[in-house]
Amino acid sequence: MIKKRFNPITDKTSEIVAFLMTSPDIPTDAGLRFKIEISVEEAVENVVRYAYEGGIGWLEAGTSLDNDSLMLTIELRDAGVPFNPLEMPDPDITLSVKEREIGGLGIFLCKKMMDNIEYKYENGNNVLIMKKKVNE
Amino acid sequence: MEIKINKLPDKTYVTLNGRIDSTNADQFQNDIFALLEGDCKFVDIDCSEMSYTSSQGLRVFLLLQKSLIERHGNLVMRNMNPHVKEVFDITGFSNIITIL
Repeated sequence: MIKKRFNPITDKTSEIVAFLMTSPDIPTDAGLRFKIEISVEEAVENVVRYAYEGGIGWLEAGTSLDNDSLMLTIELRDAGVPFNPLEMPDPDITLSVKEREIGGLGIFLCKKMMDNIEYKYENGNNVLIMKKKVNE
Repeated sequence: MEIKINKLPDKTYVTLNGRIDSTNADQFQNDIFALLEGDCKFVDIDCSEMSYTSSQGLRVFLLLQKSLIERHGNLVMRNMNPHVKEVFDITGFSNIITIL
């Protein structure tokens, strides 16, 4: 896995996203890149904004690519407040504009754009693992 | 992100150029909310040069449309690239904003 630990992470979303998106594991196809970038940005922004009181803390971000299955894995790890983003309810996308609530779209976009997302709490760390098949 | 605004008596035309992401979403929100000063009801946004939006951009478009609908107006967004359009489709925003 190609990975890097960022510390502190206050206002570092774009730097962390840029690190992940320039990994050689990330495909070149524009459509795939768009889906991966938006998922990565939403997931990283969630940690940067909410994981640590006052934003002081670290985030380790990494990528790996299985060359046989062409499955890309993106892993985010932090030691912030235990939080499983996958337990957030999906927004009701059938509501009218008046009824639609603000927010809740970030993780929903990750779920829709990636093929699989898993969360685990391990050794005091939040671990988010996002997978996307990248055969083009 | 570059925003061009052309206020006409019956409609405000906006052209977006670039990305809406965590680096500029707050500024983008301020710029868009400035449109609502006065009695602006109809906003027409050309998205042909908008390359990307995160959920923070979506949030601003939703708030804008909520305000315009309250005034019996509407938000039109046109010429989205297919990647951005997919984000609007997946989130159901294509049903609450007029996409042309």
